[in-house]
Amino acid sequence: MKCRRTFAACCLVLALLSGGCGPFIGRFIVRSFEQLGSPVETVKDKIADPVRPGVRLSVLWIGHASFLIQMDDKIILTDPVFTQTVGLLATRSIEAGLDVGAIRRADVITISHLHFDHLSYGSLGMLPKEGVLVIPAGGAEYTPDFGFAETKELKPWESLERDGVRVTAVPVQHFGGRYGFDLSWSAELGYTGYVIQYDGMTVFIAGDTAYNPEFFKETGRRFAIDLALIPIGPVAPRSIMSRVHADPASAVQIFEDLHARFMVPMHYETFFQGLDSTQHQAREELTRVIREKKLEERVLPMRVGEQRDLSAFVPWKKG
Amino acid sequence: MSRFPTHAFQFLAAVVLIIVHAPAQSSTASGGLNSSWLMYQAVPGISWTSHPGGTNFALEWEAAPVLYSFGMTKLVSPWKFFFVRPPARFTGSLEFVVAGEVYTSRLNDSHVGFSTTLLGHVPLVEYGEYLALNLGAARHWFSDTPHDFVVVGLSTVFGFVEYNIRYAPRDKIWIHQVAVRMF
Repeated sequence: MKCRRTFAACCLVLALLSGGCGPFIGRFIVRSFEQLGSPVETVKDKIADPVRPGVRLSVLWIGHASFLIQMDDKIILTDPVFTQTVGLLATRSIEAGLDVGAIRRADVITISHLHFDHLSYGSLGMLPKEGVLVIPAGGAEYTPDFGFAETKELKPWESLERDGVRVTAVPVQHFGGRYGFDLSWSAELGYTGYVIQYDGMTVFIAGDTAYNPEFFKETGRRFAIDLALIPIGPVAPRSIMSRVHADPASAVQIFEDLHARFMVPMHYETFFQGLDSTQHQAREELTRVIREKKLEERVLPMRVGEQRDLSAFVPWKKG
Repeated sequence: MSRFPTHAFQFLAAVVLIIVHAPAQSSTASGGLNSSWLMYQAVPGISWTSHPGGTNFALEWEAAPVLYSFGMTKLVSPWKFFFVRPPARFTGSLEFVVAGEVYTSRLNDSHVGFSTTLLGHVPLVEYGEYLALNLGAARHWFSDTPHDFVVVGLSTVFGFVEYNIRYAPRDKIWIHQVAVRMF
């Protein structure tokens, strides 16, 4: 622990030396220091075998933006993160909801953008390598050779199809780069959302995004989305976060713009992030919005480690 | 005429000319030698040189005219020229580094020094992003005298910070170097 704190102090010095360390970043770093050493909640009754025969569509929340999605016989992983920290400083409040050893194969692994909590080098190194790794345009400059069968960059509205699974990059509103120092040449590159289509089912993965009506209405026009995975945090401070992160109200607005059938919220209650008053601020606000809009049956908050089978709602069978 | 002015200054002049005349690139995936890059290069590293005659402290400015990366996805060229994103370096690479040093006190009758280094980076933790091993060989010119060094060190904090120890066995010179590698 002492070693980690020393390491984190080096990061702090570097961040301060870099200049542009506004009040938010300063408070964020202080908050991160405060969380070092905090206990990590364990996930009870982890699912040992997340892939089940006969399932049409299921989703398992590994935590944050990491999901294991089963679409018939295909397995999709989104922004897989299994490490205890991301970017040295941000620590978990709860362990990963799935043991990495339980993932025996992944046909497609999507990386929405290059930030530490989405592109985790250590986590990608742990995964089976038979599938295709899909990264946003500009992401290759930050992607080590993990040994996957294929690595492919996608620009917005560009698609690839492998063995019947069609992956389309769709625009979202966030920011690029990985280290902050690289914003001057990476701000507009290296982030995206995805739409996955397979066997009559369509899943939208937002990655990280703020609300942008133009983007999401267009995506909703182009795809009939069954399931939308949409971030709802970090919430505070809104003056800064509203440009790059949806809060629960705007996440539900994204869901409505997409005309999706179901929404699963993400990007909360996993890492200590942002300046939310509590780890549960996003969930509490979402609960209120769901109640106000009477969306209890369509917006489905999950527990880390929980798996939901949505097969009953995707009636089409393989022909 | 000392070797330092004839070789080092010509080389440094060539480096500066290349940088100045390199086309400015907008926000592209490949990045570029733009004003931000130049600003980052202005951040100096520090070193202290221990030799039989005493110890000298210095500020150092480094540039990597060429780097070959062997740890990145095949979607990008392994060759980098001056502009090097940290992953290209810390995931496994071999680079040629030139550096100028300004000493706080005279070393061999001069306040300036120059070095060239062939430096390899071997990833250790998180594909090198948290920790990488540095191994290499260097030649330093203190005034008009060249000295050959072996180099061993570590890179950490996303490859932004390097600590290298350089040792010239023939001349019994040690250099401890903390470098800030900014693209």
